[in-house]
Amino acid sequence: MGTPGIADYAVTSKYKLLNLAVIALMGLRNGPYDMVRDLRRYPWLWHLLKVNRLIDKLTAGRTGNYREAISIIVHGVTKEVVDLLDGIYFRQDRLVLHEDMVPPEILRAMGLSPWMPEVLGILLPMLEPSAMEEYIDVAENEGVPADVCSLPKAVIGTALRDMLPPARAVVTSNLPCDGGMTSYLYVEKMTAAPTFRLDIPFNFKDERADAYFANELRRMIAWLEEHTPGRIDWDRLKEICEERNRMVEQELELWDMIALRPAPLAAEAVFLGHLWFMNVCSGVPAATEVFRRLVELAKENLARGVAACPDERYRTLLWNPPTMHFIDLFTWAERAYGVTCIMDSMSFNRLPFIDTSSEESMLRGIGRNIMNGPMARHTRGPMANYFDDMFHIIKRFDIDMLWMAGHIGCKNTQALNAIMREKCRDVGVPVLIIDYDLSDTRIVPREGIMTQVDSFMENVMHAKRRA
Amino acid sequence: MTAPMTGLAGLCADVRNELIEEAMGRGMIPLGYTCSMVPRALLAVGTLFPVRMRAPGVAGTECADVYLSSVICSYSRSLLEFALDGRYDFLGGWVFVACCDHLRRLCDNLEYNAKPDFSHTLDIPHRGGPAALEWTVEELRRLARAIERHFDVDMGDDAVRAAMVAEGELVDALRELGALRKKPQPPFSGTDYHRVLMAAQSAPPARALELVREFREAMGDASDTAPYRARFLLVGGSLDDPAYTAVIESQGGLVVADRYCTGSYPWLDPVDAGGDPFVALARQVLDGNRCPRMMEGFAQRVNYIVDLAREYAADGVIIQSIKFCDTWGVEASALVTALREAGVPVLRLEREYRQSGEGQLRTRVQAFIESMGK
Repeated sequence: MGTPGIADYAVTSKYKLLNLAVIALMGLRNGPYDMVRDLRRYPWLWHLLKVNRLIDKLTAGRTGNYREAISIIVHGVTKEVVDLLDGIYFRQDRLVLHEDMVPPEILRAMGLSPWMPEVLGILLPMLEPSAMEEYIDVAENEGVPADVCSLPKAVIGTALRDMLPPARAVVTSNLPCDGGMTSYLYVEKMTAAPTFRLDIPFNFKDERADAYFANELRRMIAWLEEHTPGRIDWDRLKEICEERNRMVEQELELWDMIALRPAPLAAEAVFLGHLWFMNVCSGVPAATEVFRRLVELAKENLARGVAACPDERYRTLLWNPPTMHFIDLFTWAERAYGVTCIMDSMSFNRLPFIDTSSEESMLRGIGRNIMNGPMARHTRGPMANYFDDMFHIIKRFDIDMLWMAGHIGCKNTQALNAIMREKCRDVGVPVLIIDYDLSDTRIVPREGIMTQVDSFMENVMHAKRRA
Repeated sequence: MTAPMTGLAGLCADVRNELIEEAMGRGMIPLGYTCSMVPRALLAVGTLFPVRMRAPGVAGTECADVYLSSVICSYSRSLLEFALDGRYDFLGGWVFVACCDHLRRLCDNLEYNAKPDFSHTLDIPHRGGPAALEWTVEELRRLARAIERHFDVDMGDDAVRAAMVAEGELVDALRELGALRKKPQPPFSGTDYHRVLMAAQSAPPARALELVREFREAMGDASDTAPYRARFLLVGGSLDDPAYTAVIESQGGLVVADRYCTGSYPWLDPVDAGGDPFVALARQVLDGNRCPRMMEGFAQRVNYIVDLAREYAADGVIIQSIKFCDTWGVEASALVTALREAGVPVLRLEREYRQSGEGQLRTRVQAFIESMGK
């Protein structure tokens, strides 16, 4: 591995300063009194102030464009989080809570301010690994079974603790899993906001499902127009979808480059960007700009023959959401074993573009993207959806091994682990199933995850740990 | 135990009971189903008959655990274990509903490990309304076409309507029988009724009807249940072992009403067989079903339970669910609060599919009865 030099530290320092500036401006806009009040009202805001620690974590031992790419992503996320928080502070009359499988593009096109309750369960553990545990405990103390996924439990806990911002409306769906679907019972109850539920078919790969779900989206729009000041602006939706398409174009170009061995960018530079920008703020020009910069940096690396991980020995496919409370897993694994995460199941999709030629085509395109979203098609559809993708990615990205982030609360994937092992064995792909919990370090701490990786690498891959 | 009760207990004890054998001997074909959202009438056309999928007496799920993992509900694991043992080989096929994560993954694992000759998954929406109804009607028609193709059975409207009429007779008989539980001293226990319900779901409808009538006749109008301390409404997901009800009743409880998937609700809601049979069945599936997998209608589900408890003069509600069930796991937490707010005493229990932890169950029920001052 390379050793970061002065130029590398200068890059991260620049983005850290930019992050501080963005946060300080938010404080100024909000005013000191309101800022203090909000910090008391939403104690989780304190964790967001630790964003620069995330840059430190994710850039440890990384150099050059790879380091810069990650810093750009973290800074981009910071800016967008602040924009979402502005929605809470300044546009409360237009604030809509939406579940992670509800398309925020439509909410934005209606002039509404989206806030995804799951965002805390995704972001906070990256910044402070144990941040969600108090909320998980609140949910369990209410009687929610401990075996339910910790992400919906965190949502339930934040709702019960009155940590969700007051919203005009709530929009949710039957995705991505039973735990996620039922958790909104509590969001609805605690926010006392009118709640709309999108129904998404199980068999979604045909015209009938496209039409059904597009109709659901129309129903949602009509309902939101009735319950909020938001009004659909189809031209605005078209702009958002076109912007999203531009971002996707960039991402596809990036994927073509990382498919090469060695990859010019990898790990969080690929999956963190997708996880945030595609799911939370797709169609926002700043998000496209982040991807444009990633492509530039990857191209430069390719042209100069520089690999993201200078000693890329093993190319890994990460299945399931990344290990949130050990988000720097691959920062460590690159140094320890030369393991590079090339692609992950949350990022990969095959239906990227939205046809913007008509209202109906946009709704169908957005609908198809939701129905074919990673959590949707992998945790709900029949197992063919799951394994077809898995082996397609393995081939397309020249993958050496599969790491399953075996989140204990994800029963959908737990129930396919044995079949996955057998199928991977058939094609000679080694599999590591990491036992852990997505948001709760008490189940398996980072050291426990490292031990599992060590055992796998030493016993299965016969690799020696270097750091 | 009376003679009819002995017979019913025997029918419940075996997944391939004598009535199924007898029907198969006459050339009838059993079709398995796992969820009360499957309209039984569609599986009872011509020579077909529906069989509720159970795993009575399952001793362990070691093989199924390997595939489904230990965090999947033990009902799904028990079914897979039986399937891996070839215990369902007598079935002509399975009909699933994409009702919950666990049963969907059971379906996947069955396809992989022990693919049934016929397997069909109904995609039922998670809410009601006109679009959902239209979708469901088409889903039921697709199932009918698949059955017609595979089994060479006429699945036309008239044939389906005839099956609905036969099913309706059975349902009427069971409902009339169940209504006797409103009496201060019913002629039979909740355990007896649970056995009747399970036996009726494990036999061709016509034969099941005979069983119900025989049972009704044998019971007469006597009010000979043992003295009890408290009347209960039993609520929850799948519960197909009457021994569970028996343990509750062994502590002085009397289960007078139920709202669980394998019980009298929602199965016993009448369906109008006139008009388009597929529309009628779809309405029953969507509008009649008050399962927590339906996203909307929590308040209605609470009200239904409160009303049912009042109608049957239940002193308290017992909510039981199988461990690891996400839908019931979350719903039950909210339900407990809502029922308490409505002034209904409530006991929440988690259990495994197979009868276990009997001592704990006894203690919890005893304590619940005492907490109600009974």
